[in-house]
Amino acid sequence: MPMAAGGPALLRLIMRGLPILSFLLTVAFSQKMFSGDQVLRIRAKDQKQLQLLRNLEDSEDLKVDFWHAPARPSLPVDMRVPFSNLNAVKNYLNSSGISYTIMIKDIQVLLDEEKKGMSSSRRLERSTSSFRYNAYHTLEEIYTWMDNLVAEHSDLVSKIMIGQTFEKRPIFVLKFSTGNKSRPAIWIDSGIHAREWITQATGVWTAMKIVTDCGEEPVLTNILNHMDIFLEVVTNPDGFAYTHSTNRLWRKNRAVNSNSTCKGVDPNRNWDAGFGGVGSSNNPCSETYHGPFPHSEPEVASIANFIQKHKHFKALMSIHSYSQMLLYPYGYRKEPTLDNEELHNLACKAVEALSQVHGTDYIYGRAISTIYVANGITIDWAYEHDIKYSFSFELRDTGIYGFLLPASQIIPTAEETWPAILTIMKHAYKNPY
Amino acid sequence: MLARRRPAGPGPTALLLVALLAAEARASWLIRRPLSPSGPELRQAARAALHFFNYRAASPSTVRVLKEVLNGTALIREEGENIKVAFSIESYRTENSQLGTCSALVGFKDHKSRPTVNISCTPLLDQKERKKEDYKLYKQIKQLETPPFETTIPGKLGDMDPSLQPLWELAMIGNSFLMWEKTTSTSSYYYVQQITNIKKWIRPDDFIILHYRLLLHEFRTQEIISCHLHLVWHPEKPSKTQYHCQDSGTQENGSGNSEGSGFL
Repeated sequence: MPMAAGGPALLRLIMRGLPILSFLLTVAFSQKMFSGDQVLRIRAKDQKQLQLLRNLEDSEDLKVDFWHAPARPSLPVDMRVPFSNLNAVKNYLNSSGISYTIMIKDIQVLLDEEKKGMSSSRRLERSTSSFRYNAYHTLEEIYTWMDNLVAEHSDLVSKIMIGQTFEKRPIFVLKFSTGNKSRPAIWIDSGIHAREWITQATGVWTAMKIVTDCGEEPVLTNILNHMDIFLEVVTNPDGFAYTHSTNRLWRKNRAVNSNSTCKGVDPNRNWDAGFGGVGSSNNPCSETYHGPFPHSEPEVASIANFIQKHKHFKALMSIHSYSQMLLYPYGYRKEPTLDNEELHNLACKAVEALSQVHGTDYIYGRAISTIYVANGITIDWAYEHDIKYSFSFELRDTGIYGFLLPASQIIPTAEETWPAILTIMKHAYKNPY
Repeated sequence: MLARRRPAGPGPTALLLVALLAAEARASWLIRRPLSPSGPELRQAARAALHFFNYRAASPSTVRVLKEVLNGTALIREEGENIKVAFSIESYRTENSQLGTCSALVGFKDHKSRPTVNISCTPLLDQKERKKEDYKLYKQIKQLETPPFETTIPGKLGDMDPSLQPLWELAMIGNSFLMWEKTTSTSSYYYVQQITNIKKWIRPDDFIILHYRLLLHEFRTQEIISCHLHLVWHPEKPSKTQYHCQDSGTQENGSGNSEGSGFL
């Protein structure tokens, strides 16, 4: 580096240092990262306005984050706008004649209120090392643990808010990354069905496992040197809160359905893959109600938009219970995918790795023939959106306790599931496409 | 070369005869269909068979749980299917960690529940041991104070107070009857998630009466069905089960009752 003395070189040095400085500042004030950010709701009148909105999305500088992407006119478009770009975005909308309402005036206020609620609740763990992984936890406890995890391992983990539920709870995803550029990525979600408590608990343990093994265990470390992992521990926060407060066996989200007193849409029937077929119900009172249209539910739309915007997801694992199965697409069609043989062999390896831990038997196969026909499921959508390695886990047990799995089985379940997850991640890493 | 006259074709009468004979034969044909051990049909048959076994044995200390389907075939009849299946089981009481095998012939009638079951399983305990364990449980239940009405077993955290475990094990006898009755061919299967509102009496003839509400998970539809069950049990005498279920969406009622023997 030429050591030129004087003004211009110094300026260049400062310019180079600015991004680092602002990054440091952001990290230091990471608790207030969303201060002043707003969520705007827009109803585009016609295709022209929709296109103008899409242009916004493509603008790298404005950093607009769509929670409900521009799809059709008359469908609401929700977008989070960073505080620093609010004026620019609003000017753009005004001058284009696009009307909007402010859905959330200040996201940070929302998050602070959420935090206040959490600190007044019982049993707040101070650090992730004192967190009881062998017990079931409330939403507040898991969200607190998440913040602790990020704080303690900020070099590896960050928390991203990808959306907001029907009842206005934030939806968080943990990002595990050792790089600073967009890398090929792996998606894991747990708790899309509220009552499947073993899954959120397994998600929590798995996050802890990743931070523990990164830098220590060669396979995971190698994967994380080339790929990012995104883990959404509580994919259905409203439903999960409801299982704690009111009905332990609640499955769906807590959407209010028009023309019915029955609440909730099954988030695992709401995906845009064979939507609305016989493997789902059009009755709002049903446990498999698919909702009014694909991705109508924020829990689903937020993930779909995030994944599509990222563009580099290579594997997706959606965690459910119970049945002890490992499933791959399709759930909605009888025909196997073009990658059937590869997926079958990979599932075989993953299940074998799982059984080595505690001797637990899993069945594996295509969803439609192994479990039942199901329309609008996560893994079918993922597969049809170029994520070849899409798998659905059904964790313990096979029906003795079902959804009410004793807490003593949390750690054994998580321990055995981990090698299966690792097998799939390793295969995705070693077989780029 | 002598020209050969082509033999005369079968006359219309002969054709009719052949058609009639074929129809006759088809009615009694049993088409054997090999089934994959990891496939849903064999699993369904194994479940139905095991539910039936657990309810008929009526031995709460030796309730069996399905481990692995080993092999089986289906015999297709006109009115349904007979499925021959062999599977391994383990004891519900994991501390015993006993294994065993069962082989069964399960008859599913098209779309009708209550499959017929012919089953034999290897014993988990010898008869003397089993009698001893069942009597131990019987005494525990007799001496137990009825839990409060709102008590659920298991609790929402999947926890089960050890003092309440005998009640859960006894309830599995009644639950097994219910689940067996409701299991149709390949469409539905069921698991009991939780019991509550438990009432317990001892009859003058020393039978235990257990009355409770249960939450049944129907797998195919993912619905939770609420049922009431009434079980009359004694370690050495035939037991009796009655139930009444309320279908969550349709208000349809299903009920059934039965007798199970004291031992098999």
